[in-house]
Amino acid sequence: MLLAIAQPLAWFLGFDSLMEFIAFVIAAAVAYQALKGYRLSKERTLLYLHFSFVLIGAGLLVDGLSGIVVLLSQFHRGFLVLYALGYTINFIAQLIAYGLLVFAYLQQTRNISAQFAATAVVSALFFERNAFAELILIFLLVYITAHTAMNYSLSKTTNSMLVFGAFASLTIAHFFFLMFMLVPIFFPLAHIAQLFGFLLLLGMLLRVNQPS
Amino acid sequence: MIPGEPGSSAKPASKYRSQFRIYVDVMHVIQRENNQAKPTRILYGANLSHDRLIKYLEELKSLGVIQESGTGDKVYSLTQKGIEFMNNFKKVESFASAFGFRI
Repeated sequence: MLLAIAQPLAWFLGFDSLMEFIAFVIAAAVAYQALKGYRLSKERTLLYLHFSFVLIGAGLLVDGLSGIVVLLSQFHRGFLVLYALGYTINFIAQLIAYGLLVFAYLQQTRNISAQFAATAVVSALFFERNAFAELILIFLLVYITAHTAMNYSLSKTTNSMLVFGAFASLTIAHFFFLMFMLVPIFFPLAHIAQLFGFLLLLGMLLRVNQPS
Repeated sequence: MIPGEPGSSAKPASKYRSQFRIYVDVMHVIQRENNQAKPTRILYGANLSHDRLIKYLEELKSLGVIQESGTGDKVYSLTQKGIEFMNNFKKVESFASAFGFRI
């Protein structure tokens, strides 16, 4: 069904994979930085951040690769299922990843028990790709965006603004992915918003690692 | 590498400092004092009791991140390893705080 909707946007396929590969590299860099931080400080939230971005990166890579395979096969019927499979894997990876980030924020503020948060994430996995499931992803992202917005309002640092901007862009991107089910033009817009979000994260990483 | 608080499975509440955080605070005071800090400055700067200060200074010395000099009035300074650790820590702290995580 998704492919039928996306047919008018066949020209964009390939660009979306390229954007996802770029986003994958940035997600891997964020995951690596978080792992370095965890090794130094043994702070668990950084470990959650690491696993979260590992999952996000893996999902983007699988989705990007499936898009390339379908493109190279010139939309051969036998390969079309790969496109849906790649999207589904990416979706599930992001659902767990953002759930993990929400869990990290909740654990830090101690507003919720670990069991409750874990149950909420696992429950979310029972949904297959559809508008309702996409909404769950948006809700998770809205929570993370709100948290990073509060962090920015308190710290007023450029780095926290970049992270807030990144998650706000990712939220908009997923809203566009939702809208794409109704209006195809939202598909490239969603990918552009997603890439922009990751580029903001890259900006933050470069700032953090610049020589003092 | 400086380890975190042994056995601290849960995140410490904000009013309690982890062992790791105290190490960083002590090293930060030394760095702030142009890398030549007397025990009294560290005691006040890192907000520690005398007994705990001695304990942490010994631990940091054994980790090779600070060194002691002077015979009468002791002076503490960061070693090269300590300076590198603090540089890395600042990056990690900046990265974590960008996401709203405190370490």
